[in-house]
Amino acid sequence: MSDPAVQASHLGKAFGTRQVLDDLSFEVAPGDVIGVLGKNGAGKTTLLELMLGFTPPTAGTVSVFGQASQQLSAGNKARVGFVPQQDELIDQLSVADQLKVIASFYPHWDGEFIDRLCGEWGVNPAARIKSLSVGERQKLSILLAFGHRPELLVLDEPVASLDPMARRQFLEQLVEASMDGNSSVIFSSHIVSDIERLANRIWILKDARLAWQGDLDSLKECVVRLHIRGGAETLEAMAISGELSRRRDGDFMTVVVRDFTPAMQADLRGRHGVDVEVESLGLEEIFLELHR
Amino acid sequence: MFILNPQSGIPIYRQLLEQVRRMVASGQLAPGAELPSVRELALKHAVNPMTVSKAYSLLEAEGLLERNRGRPMTVASRVRNTSQLSRRIEQIQPLVEQTVLAAKQLELSETELVKTVRKNWEDEDE
Repeated sequence: MSDPAVQASHLGKAFGTRQVLDDLSFEVAPGDVIGVLGKNGAGKTTLLELMLGFTPPTAGTVSVFGQASQQLSAGNKARVGFVPQQDELIDQLSVADQLKVIASFYPHWDGEFIDRLCGEWGVNPAARIKSLSVGERQKLSILLAFGHRPELLVLDEPVASLDPMARRQFLEQLVEASMDGNSSVIFSSHIVSDIERLANRIWILKDARLAWQGDLDSLKECVVRLHIRGGAETLEAMAISGELSRRRDGDFMTVVVRDFTPAMQADLRGRHGVDVEVESLGLEEIFLELHR
Repeated sequence: MFILNPQSGIPIYRQLLEQVRRMVASGQLAPGAELPSVRELALKHAVNPMTVSKAYSLLEAEGLLERNRGRPMTVASRVRNTSQLSRRIEQIQPLVEQTVLAAKQLELSETELVKTVRKNWEDEDE
């Protein structure tokens, strides 16, 4: 097994008395595409910044390529690409000059690749950055993070201002980047459908903790809505393990559970003599259910 | 070739598994037919390549697909006959369960349901 790209143990961050992140432990393996979900203010940006060593943790440790994030060597930094939520472009420059500035930091900058993407994405190298739209600025920020073919890509809300076509082009690039199975991608987004396409693993931040970390596939297999029909009293008295929410209307009840197995369906039928139908849920609904 | 819906509650690899199984069972995918490459499928649907290879590997383990060096995966030349009937029944099982449940909710008797199935079966044959 190859070494994890990122590793955190009991990681925490407090700003004064406000605990933003508490006791997070996780690993990011090469080839992982991780989608980070959380409400506004859930600590997604803080988590990404801790990983990149922009801010020190107040508890626990986090490392990238086996080296503490705060002490990352220049060599290891060059293996990381980052798209910040707020771009850090220099307004006075042209697109071409901004690309040149960033390229000069990296010995392995792939200029040909970036020229090609500029063409495909409709980013004009001659344009002044000052004159770019928000969406164009975002495209350029993404290009700046792609050019050195990083092994770890960290993206904080990279697509918020992109139109559907640009978003799809961006997703295709992420598919390309993860094709070799060696590069890892971590991206936060409120566009759940993008995460649903690309991510193989999901982190859900809630109340400063990772309320869920695991495969997207198992998340969808475990969090389901049960439609149960039976006597009103039977339903009222039914205890269901891993229950997240329940709504009962006479002799019909819907229950969302977080650790469903096919055996559970048979068990409920057998023990209570009720009809149970299973409805699988999309990621957006799962996210909402986990926040009820 | 495949219809993948990432927003569905059914994981993408399972959607792919079920579609390939169905297409092979129905003969839409004949023995020896080539499957699109992982790369092709992942790019076309903008989904994680690992999801596609997970489905392909499971289908290979089932004996439905064959891996070929440097060439696309193909439908196995000999789908094992012994397991075929039970596998086909397994595939239709969820649909049968749904139908039975719906029939019960509509308060149809078993005989009435079977009669309806038989009638549809014969209509299809004509």
